[in-house]
Parts: sequence; structure tokens; C-alpha cells
Amino acid sequence: MSASVRAEARRLLALSLEGGAVSSDRVAAMLAALTGSRPAHTLRPLLRAYLAAVRRELARSEATIEHAGPLSPEQAAAVAAHFSRALGRPVRPVARRNDSLLAGFRVRVGDDVTDLTASARLRALERSLSA
Amino acid sequence: MTTFSLLAAADAAAAKSGNPVDDIIRLFGSFGVDWHHLLPQLVNFALLVFVLYRYAIRPALGQMEERNRLIAQGLADAKAAEQRLADAQKAADAKLNAAADESARVLAEARASAAKTVEAAKSEAAAAAAEVLRKGQAALEADRARMLNEVRGELARLVVDASGKVLGQTLDDAQRARLNEAAAKELAR
Repeated sequence: MSASVRAEARRLLALSLEGGAVSSDRVAAMLAALTGSRPAHTLRPLLRAYLAAVRRELARSEATIEHAGPLSPEQAAAVAAHFSRALGRPVRPVARRNDSLLAGFRVRVGDDVTDLTASARLRALERSLSA
Repeated sequence: MTTFSLLAAADAAAAKSGNPVDDIIRLFGSFGVDWHHLLPQLVNFALLVFVLYRYAIRPALGQMEERNRLIAQGLADAKAAEQRLADAQKAADAKLNAAADESARVLAEARASAAKTVEAAKSEAAAAAAEVLRKGQAALEADRARMLNEVRGELARLVVDASGKVLGQTLDDAQRARLNEAAAKELAR
């Protein structure tokens, strides 16, 4: 994928944001405008780059919360609000139960991971005992 | 006629005449000396002496002188040879002494060098042995530390696994909810 295609995909992504978040309406409008505007062999790499950029942006604006045991929607919203404040952009919570974490929760926003689970504490304990 | 008889005849003649010259002439006459043949005989004798001297005595004397010269030269040569022999003997003795000194020096140097070599070999062997010992001790220490780490890691893994299993089996949703709430509070801090 060439640098010019990636740069154009970033420009399309910037046009797809509304209030700092990806807007489905704007994305649909972008796709409608792009379709038929250029030949398929040049449009396909641009659409792939645009898709990857949208996915990255959605991941950046999404707080994936893996939790063991019950986690109320209020608690999930509080966690998302915390990361929204910390990152300076709106982040919506996506909760997913995973009892193998034993207790606590693990939050992934983009490439950042915050692990507050009992299993992570036990792994840290194991590393400290092994060192 | 014997000498005594001739002297007796001369005394008798002298007693008769009384002149000594006449007496001598008479005496030579009584000896049978013929003055007319005496000069040719002297000439003959001189010729004989000359011939003998020229062709016999002088060559013989020359040969004798040559032989004497050769003998003297031989003696001188023998003396010189003896002197040269003595000098050569002295030189040989000096060279032998020098060679003995040189050989003693070389032998001493060889002994010293051998001693140095032996000492160096001893030191090298001791250093090599110490190095081998050090490496062996280091390897043992590394093995011990590695085994200790492995045992510690295995023990920690067992402890963590056992703790995880126990926690997974004993924690209920109420306890997990309390722990989640505590984690949320920790995140908010």
C-alpha cells in the first residue's frame, strides 16, 4: 500500500468524524461518493486503507472491558468515562465477561491495556517469585 | 842408517872440520838431499798441493761448509719449529682454556634458560589449572543458579496455578462483584 493511498485514507477518515467519533452516516456518504468515482483497480486499495483507518479509529474510541463476575452498566460507564477523561476523546464501553480472569477487569483502548485482574496480579507474583 | 848413527856421524865430522856450515852441508849430503832435484820436487809438491787444494780439498771444504750450513740451518729450523711448536701449544692451550670457559658459560646459560623454562611452564600450568578450576566453579555456580531459578520458577508457577484454581473455584459472583468494584475504585484513583 503506497504512502499516497494511506494519506488519502487518513483524509477520508478525518471527514468521517463527527464530534471526535466516527459517524456511520458520514462513512456511508463517503462510500457513496467514492463508488463510481474512479476505476475499481485504484478504488480497491483506497477502500482497504480507509477500512483499516476506520477500524483503528473505532478501536481508539472503544473501551473493551473484560471482566470476571458481574459488572454493572454503571461501572462500565464509569470506566469508559475515566478513559474518556484520560485520553481527551469520547470512549464508549464494550463489556465482555471472562471468568478466567478470576476477578477484576482488563480494559483495552486502542493499543493501551490496563489490567486490574486477579490473574494479572498472580502472574506478576509468579514473575517476582521466579526472578 | 838410523838417526842415532847419523847424529853420531855428524858429531864425528864436526869434530874433524870445525866449520858449522860445512858440517850442515855434509850432514844433508849424508842424508841424501840432492840440491839439484830439490827445487823441481818443491815445484811438483806445490803443484800437487795446488791441484789437491783446487780439486779435492776446496770442494771437500765447500761441501763441509755447505753441510755445516745445512746442519746449522736444520738446527735453527728445528729450534724455530720447536719455538713454533711451543707457541702453537700455548695457543692451543689458550684456545682450550677459552673453549672450556665458553663451554662453561654456555652450559651455565643453558641451565639458567632451562630453569627459566621450567619455571615458566610451571607457572603456565598453574595458571591453566587455576583457570580450569575457576571455569569449573563458575559453571557449577551457573548450573546451581540456573537450577535454583528453574525450581523457583516452577514452584512459583505451581503456587500461582494452584492459587488461580482455588480462587476460580471458591470465588462467587458476589465476591467478584466486590472485587470489580474495588478495581474500579483503584482505577479512579
